[in-house]
Amino acid sequence: MSSATNATNQLLPLELIDKCIGSKIWVIMKSEKEFTGTLLGFDDYVNMVLEDVTEYENTPEGRKTTHLDQILLNGNNITMLIPGGEGPD
Amino acid sequence: MTEETHNAPVEPNAVEEPLDLVRLSLDERIYVKLRGDRELRGKLHAYDGHLNMVLGDVEETITVVEINEETYEEVIRTVKRTSEMLFVRGDGVILVSPPVRTGT
Amino acid sequence: MQQPPQQERSPTEFLSNVIGRPVVVKLNSGVDYRGILSCLDGYMNIALEQTEEWVNGQLKNKYGDAFIRGNNVLYISADKTN
Repeated sequence: MSSATNATNQLLPLELIDKCIGSKIWVIMKSEKEFTGTLLGFDDYVNMVLEDVTEYENTPEGRKTTHLDQILLNGNNITMLIPGGEGPD
Repeated sequence: MTEETHNAPVEPNAVEEPLDLVRLSLDERIYVKLRGDRELRGKLHAYDGHLNMVLGDVEETITVVEINEETYEEVIRTVKRTSEMLFVRGDGVILVSPPVRTGT
Repeated sequence: MQQPPQQERSPTEFLSNVIGRPVVVKLNSGVDYRGILSCLDGYMNIALEQTEEWVNGQLKNKYGDAFIRGNNVLYISADKTN
C-alpha cells in the first residue's frame, strides 16, 4: 500500500483516483451536473467507467436525479473528483 | 491508456469506425444537426476527420423560439433557406445521419 | 438484489463490452440518443443504429444510422451485462 513509486513520495493525482477503484466516488462537472457511483476504471483522459450511478442535474426548477446502471463518462467536462461519493444533499 | 486499440466487430461491409458511416454517405443526401438549432439537408461532396464538410444543394432549417411579449407564449418559428454549395465547419456538428437504407 | 460491483473495468473494456448493445448516449446539451452502439473511436465519435432522439423525455426524431461527434458526448450508458 505504499505510494513510494515516485521519489518524492507524494501521491500523484491519478494515483488517488486509482485508489478509488472499486469504491464510491463523486464527480462534479463543469456544468450544473454531478454524478455519484462506484468507480470501475478510468484512462489517462480521466474518462471513467462508473456503476450504479446517480446523475444529479441542478436546474432552476430544482434538482433532478436519474439512476444509471453503468456509464462511460467523458472526462472532458469533469471539474472535481471526491473519493467517498456521498454526493450532494 | 490503450486509446488506439478499440475492438470493432470485424464483419464484411460493416461500419468499423464511426467515420465509415460518413464515408459511406459520400454523394448521398445527408441530414446534419448543428449547434444553435440548425439543421442541414444536402448532398455530401467531401468531409475530413474534423467533420468539416462540403454540402451541395442544401436546405438549411433554423429553429427560433420566441416569447410573445404580451401572452408569454412560446412561439417556435423555423426559417428555411437554400444554398447551392456550402462548407460546414466540423466543430459545430452534433450529428450526421445518412439517408435511410433499406431495412430501417 | 444487487450484485457486488465488478472489480475493475477500463473505458476500453467497457466499450468492447457494449458494442452491439442498446445504449443511451447523453450529450452535454441534455439531449439523449438511444440506439444500438455500432462502434466508436478515440474521440468518442459514435455510430448508432436504430437511433431515437429524446429531448426532455419526448421522442423527437428517429434515424436509421447516426454519427455523433464525440466532443458533444457527456456519457454512454448501458444496462448491466454480467
